[in-house]
Amino acid sequence: MALRKLALLAVAAVAAFACGTTSAGPTTGSAIILGAPLGLTGSLTKESNLTLQGYNLWLDWINAQGGIVVNGVKHPVTLRYYDDTSSANQSAVLMQKLITEDKANFLLGPYGSAATATDAAIAEQNQIPMVEANGAAQAIFNQGYKYTFGVLSPANKYLQGVVDMAATLNPKPTTIALLSADDNFSLEVANAINDYAPGKGMNVVLFKKYKNGATNLTAEVQAAKAAKPDIVLNSGHLTEAIAINKAAKEQKLNAKIFAYSVGPSTPDFISALGSDANFVYDGSQWTPQVKYTPAFYLSESDYVAAYKAKYPGLGDPDYHVAESTAACLALQRAIENAGSLDPTKVRNALAALDVTVFFGQIKFDPRGINTYKPMVVEQIQNGVHHTVFPATVADAQPMYPTPNWDQR
Amino acid sequence: MIATAASNRRRQRIFLIAGAILAAYALLAPLTSLDAAQSANVPLLADKFWFQIATNIAMFIVMATAWNIIGGITGYAAFGNVAFFGIGAYTTGMLIAKAKWPFLLALPLAPVVAAAFAALVGLPLLRLRGHYFAVASLGVGVAVGELVQNIDYAGQPVFGGASGLFLPIFRIDNRGLFFFYLMSAAAALSIAVTWWMLRSRLGYGLIAIRENEEAASVLGVNTTAYKVAAFALAAALTGLAGGIFSQWNVFVNQDNVFPITYNIQMILMALLGGTGTVFGPATGAVLLYLLIQFLGGTLPISFDLPFVSSDARPIVAQVILGLLLVVVVIFVPRGVIDFFGGRTRLSVAYLRRSLRETSL
Repeated sequence: MALRKLALLAVAAVAAFACGTTSAGPTTGSAIILGAPLGLTGSLTKESNLTLQGYNLWLDWINAQGGIVVNGVKHPVTLRYYDDTSSANQSAVLMQKLITEDKANFLLGPYGSAATATDAAIAEQNQIPMVEANGAAQAIFNQGYKYTFGVLSPANKYLQGVVDMAATLNPKPTTIALLSADDNFSLEVANAINDYAPGKGMNVVLFKKYKNGATNLTAEVQAAKAAKPDIVLNSGHLTEAIAINKAAKEQKLNAKIFAYSVGPSTPDFISALGSDANFVYDGSQWTPQVKYTPAFYLSESDYVAAYKAKYPGLGDPDYHVAESTAACLALQRAIENAGSLDPTKVRNALAALDVTVFFGQIKFDPRGINTYKPMVVEQIQNGVHHTVFPATVADAQPMYPTPNWDQR
Repeated sequence: MIATAASNRRRQRIFLIAGAILAAYALLAPLTSLDAAQSANVPLLADKFWFQIATNIAMFIVMATAWNIIGGITGYAAFGNVAFFGIGAYTTGMLIAKAKWPFLLALPLAPVVAAAFAALVGLPLLRLRGHYFAVASLGVGVAVGELVQNIDYAGQPVFGGASGLFLPIFRIDNRGLFFFYLMSAAAALSIAVTWWMLRSRLGYGLIAIRENEEAASVLGVNTTAYKVAAFALAAALTGLAGGIFSQWNVFVNQDNVFPITYNIQMILMALLGGTGTVFGPATGAVLLYLLIQFLGGTLPISFDLPFVSSDARPIVAQVILGLLLVVVVIFVPRGVIDFFGGRTRLSVAYLRRSLRETSL
């Protein structure tokens, strides 16, 4: 009996103490440590540095606010990162170091699908949430992992926006010629269109694969011309996109829409093709022109301004930068919602997250990938990128149909 | 002269005892107090990061020691041994991920498949010598990785394609400990095989081939059979490491298990430690791996480079690593193992002699 009384007293004392500390208003708590392995040397240096820029932009902002507010206490944030020499295996070593030695509370993703897949397994075994922004391969999210979340749209969404847009245009295009590189990402993009287009009233009249990295695609373009499509879609990379556009002009392949998965959004595409780059569409994770209604953090234009102030001379932020910042925002909001630094509680808050930021809506499906954010469609109009779809975020109308080559 | 020999023997004994104590400590310390040491915050020995580092070191001991069999003892500079690592990893990975075999049943097939492949390509490849063999073996190493990624059947990638293979996470208590001991066992096996080899007919035959292949042939050594056997044995050990790696790492793809850098690292480790010896490659593996991690700033003992910003540090670390290796290869051509065991002493005269021997 006496024992129980004593216990009650103790609980009351603890409760009183706890109330006392929380009602004292925002104070500064312990630092939240985030960890990320990044390929600062080696083959992925460029993209990894863009990723780091995205993380740093958010880090400056959150620490200027005093940190992440957890139950009224402000926790400043530190980011620990190490060079994984662009090796997925070294990334795994560093991930374990970040968790064990540096006691990272939460993890941010590395760059690239291979490193992300390796690190996802480590995050899972240690039950520490990892929010990643640079591994779009769906295979990572089909493993039943509970602690990995990806803020970017998966590969199968890349060209669906173009098909959705085409369905709204007049006269409506009805036939598609689909060309694809033979790497996994490109095939995932192309196969998704092959399945998706018939539902939108469009027939895929040609589906042709070519070797990844090919620079001469004349034969493929000839085959596309013979099929007389309304839409020419290419799922590949920058070099193939340029090769196809060149061959299309030489072979006088005319279509109402030319859209390429990756390539046109980079400045190199316009500088390589000049005025021939006009009218070309592409799918992008994000563009500086999009107009969302952010629930917190910066607006799109403020984000671009903040980037230019911190990294002068680099032009507009690339979508790699934006999605990396978005990963930080997702983590921040989940920690706030969880009201705790407990990894499992934050993991559950991430799974339940639904918030719109400058990058778009962030909400994860049961596998942990953001299937809710649409890809945006860009078009090059008079040498400038414009966002043309979805209409709610667009800054220009699509210039449709694309004129024939001899009438440009 | 006699006094020197006696003192050499004494130093050799000291090194052996010290090495044995170190090895025993490294192997046994994790066992004694896993939970206790975790909570007591003992650095290096009982946490998961230490297992990660130690398991990687054991893995490189296997690869460097196996390379030594073909590269050091036989004298054929194989530059494509990472192919066997990848084949081992994919063999185990496919059996677990696609055929749903249990890990311990799938593992023994990794060295078998790797050895069979080595015997197959070894027959034509080992007819080449010197630079020609080196380039051809490098070609095989790269080609196998590309093939595994790109082979399709009925439009579907056979080996998981570019997105790789995901293995189920091996659920076991003290998972880190399990893979550490498994990899250490593979390392011990590879060292034991080398030790046995250097005392067997096979080993003498291989050394004869290295010193003068025509003479060996004239003396009745079946050079083709001996060389292929050495190649297959190296492949089997490397494949075993790959098989363990696949389940340990959970994810297998071309980037992970066919990294060109491993080719170079395993050779450098063997050179650094001392080729043709039993313990040289293992010593080199420990030293080089720790050096790489130290320069990368991942070890608990770290350092700051003066005049170098944190942005430039990773790049400078790579440059330092490269320079150090060049210096070691020029000045210590027989490997650091030369200093242990009392044959030579590190001195200015030794360095000058080395420089003279390696001058172009």
